[in-house]
Amino acid sequence: MNNWFKSGSPWVWLSAGGVSISLISVLGLLGLIAWRGLSYFWPADIYQFEMTDEQGKNLTVIGEIYERESIPASQLVHLNLNIDESAETIERLLIKTGNRELVSLDFRWILVPQINNTSLPAELVVIERRTHGNFYGYIEEVILDGQAVEQNKMLQLVERVSDFQAEMEDLQKSDIGAINYQIERTRLKERKHILDNTLTTQLQQELKDKVVGLKADYSVLEEQLMALREKISRDQIIVRAMDGQKVTINFEDVLQVTFNNKLNVFEKLKMFFSQIGAFVSDDPREANTEGGVFPAIFGTVLMVLLMTVIVSPLGVVAAIYLHEYAGNNALTKLLRIAVINLAGVPSIVYGVFGLGFFVYMVGGSLDDLFYAETLPSPTFGTPGVMWSALTLAILTLPVVIVSTEEGLSRIPSAMRHGSLALGATKAETLWRIILPIASPAIMTGIILAIARAAGEVAPLMLVGVVKMAPNLPLDGNFPFLHLDRKFMHLGFHIYDVGFQSPNVEAARPLVYATALLLVSIIVALNITAVSIRNRLREKYRMLDQ
Amino acid sequence: MISVTPKKLSEHRVKLDLNNLSPEQVALEIKNLDLYYGDKQALQNISMSIPKGQVTAFIGPSGCGKSTLLRCINRMNDLVDICKITGEINLNGDNIYDRHTDVAALRRKVGMVFQRPNPFPKSIYENVVYGLRITGVNNRRVLDEAVENALRSAALWNEVKDRLHESALGLSGGQQQRLVIARAIAIEPEVLLLDEPTSALDPISTLTIEELINDLKKQFTVVIVTHNMQQAARVSDQTAFMYMGDLIEYSDTNTLFTTPVKKKTEDYITGRYG
Repeated sequence: MNNWFKSGSPWVWLSAGGVSISLISVLGLLGLIAWRGLSYFWPADIYQFEMTDEQGKNLTVIGEIYERESIPASQLVHLNLNIDESAETIERLLIKTGNRELVSLDFRWILVPQINNTSLPAELVVIERRTHGNFYGYIEEVILDGQAVEQNKMLQLVERVSDFQAEMEDLQKSDIGAINYQIERTRLKERKHILDNTLTTQLQQELKDKVVGLKADYSVLEEQLMALREKISRDQIIVRAMDGQKVTINFEDVLQVTFNNKLNVFEKLKMFFSQIGAFVSDDPREANTEGGVFPAIFGTVLMVLLMTVIVSPLGVVAAIYLHEYAGNNALTKLLRIAVINLAGVPSIVYGVFGLGFFVYMVGGSLDDLFYAETLPSPTFGTPGVMWSALTLAILTLPVVIVSTEEGLSRIPSAMRHGSLALGATKAETLWRIILPIASPAIMTGIILAIARAAGEVAPLMLVGVVKMAPNLPLDGNFPFLHLDRKFMHLGFHIYDVGFQSPNVEAARPLVYATALLLVSIIVALNITAVSIRNRLREKYRMLDQ
Repeated sequence: MISVTPKKLSEHRVKLDLNNLSPEQVALEIKNLDLYYGDKQALQNISMSIPKGQVTAFIGPSGCGKSTLLRCINRMNDLVDICKITGEINLNGDNIYDRHTDVAALRRKVGMVFQRPNPFPKSIYENVVYGLRITGVNNRRVLDEAVENALRSAALWNEVKDRLHESALGLSGGQQQRLVIARAIAIEPEVLLLDEPTSALDPISTLTIEELINDLKKQFTVVIVTHNMQQAARVSDQTAFMYMGDLIEYSDTNTLFTTPVKKKTEDYITGRYG
């Protein structure tokens, strides 16, 4: 036994065990998120259940099976179910029935013993809609331009309509949006001149003419939009729901029509990927419980990149000062300890600081100085993507400083001396020799900063994240990057969808899918940074001394 | 008398009277130099003249101050916070410890090679042109020419001419040390300081470097610190023996090794201590 201890193998077992536990928890977490998140995109079978309820009424339920659950039979004794006495548990199913305009809840529990017959009718259709969620039912009639047509033309129709929709969206978002933006800018320009007392009648007339011109353009576009809408609105689809009601759905509302039960594996796979594609590229709908998360992805990535751009130079410069220029005295040591401790401050505190300092103080002053014409509505004096990036930059600053300093102290003094002995000044040595050699360490700091910042939500809720941002912070209107705008963030999106959503069951898979996406984005950002670091490492590989 | 019979590399040694050098013959003049590390005095009242175009060696046991003295010549001791220096070192008649001395310019005139090869993690080419780039030379032709000249002078050109743009860290230790010498002479200094340049090298590389030193003195004044007496005897024209921060004896190499004046010198070169 004693020899066994001396041989060191207990330590090998212990350390290997530690590694295994970490590995299993990480893989388990990722596996769970991935399974739950990805299964949301897989086209589910649509079941039709014939059942008899407690009152002896026969009814039909159509929908996807969302969840299975066993409950103790004793809880259901009062229902007088026709079941085996000895059964201890009864299975029940959560069915997503959709058709939100017909029933108040689009999810319902059914008890397995009450089901008389289960079938998968091939003619069952799922219609994904812009409003009211999915519709499950049978197609009764397809109406094109007010006339009934054959049902097999329907898919063609869906395509045609989605083309129109894309056109409309384009019109609405870019063209009409640009005109609105121009009109607003013209108004602000006029107001600025009024404030500066430089408004001449000639200028006023010019601006007025401009607005008139823009408004004329606007009405032309609006007419186009109306025409398109009119075109679509004449196409309809009449469907029969599970309770026999007939419902007319305008094609305007339809995103996708699929016969899930008819699909084979390959078609399902194709749909699976197109659903994922839609999830990452579409805007959210229905209070974020449906549609995609593109604005949140965009906001997260943009904010993290901005943060990186801010924190890297700041952290590196601070580390250089602390390590290279500051005297090696008590004050420097105190500063260093303070910097390290800064990493331990709860992130919400940074949020409060960001709100108070950046948003109200700095932003408010910026507004007074440069954006007086828009007041009282604030430009920078309100939470926005720039303040979020700055707040997170402060939050991650210690990480960058500490790892940069570590990198600087690892450089052998022979490098500095070699450079100084060649007549380089300290600054030249730093710039040409020390920083390149320290760059892998700097990248390590940046990687850690990105990892921390991308997952941070709490401070962002105070300084710029919103549930729903009408515009992306980047668009086609000058100056293209609008740092004052509020933005959406995947981390906040998870919180919002999961805990603030009116439709809990619908939101649950979205939480997993969004979490998976957030993790993938952070991993992707990190892999990029790590590969840059590895290239730098290879380039500035030191002698093995 | 002498316990070693070194192979003479310097065939035609000119015997100089070190106490009466004419101003043109002097490269460096050290006057009453004291150096303290904190409270501890590391150099005591050193005065000596180092002649131009010759190789001067500092020898002595470990901790005698020979490297410290060498580092005074290009003010590398400035990097040590607790180091305090009094006295003067004159280079071309200017005291390098004058308050107005541009240290970077001084170090361009007084190049230095360290004990361990310390090439930068850059290409061979970039290592050699580093000093030139610092001074603002960016003309490709000038740089190319300087690289070839420096590498030829350092006897490295033939070995690396086909891989100038590969990493300098791929070279062997001896090649790296010659690269570092090439880097130092690329900026054409007046004086070249070598701080135990072969102590980390194998015997064959050592021999190459020693031959190189003999060639270098045609262009530069060379000051070398070595703990290897045979090396001092082989490569140097003048030798200074230091002990415990004092300059004990300074004369031409032949005299010092064959007929030392001081007892301490004799004891050291005959191997009684050190």
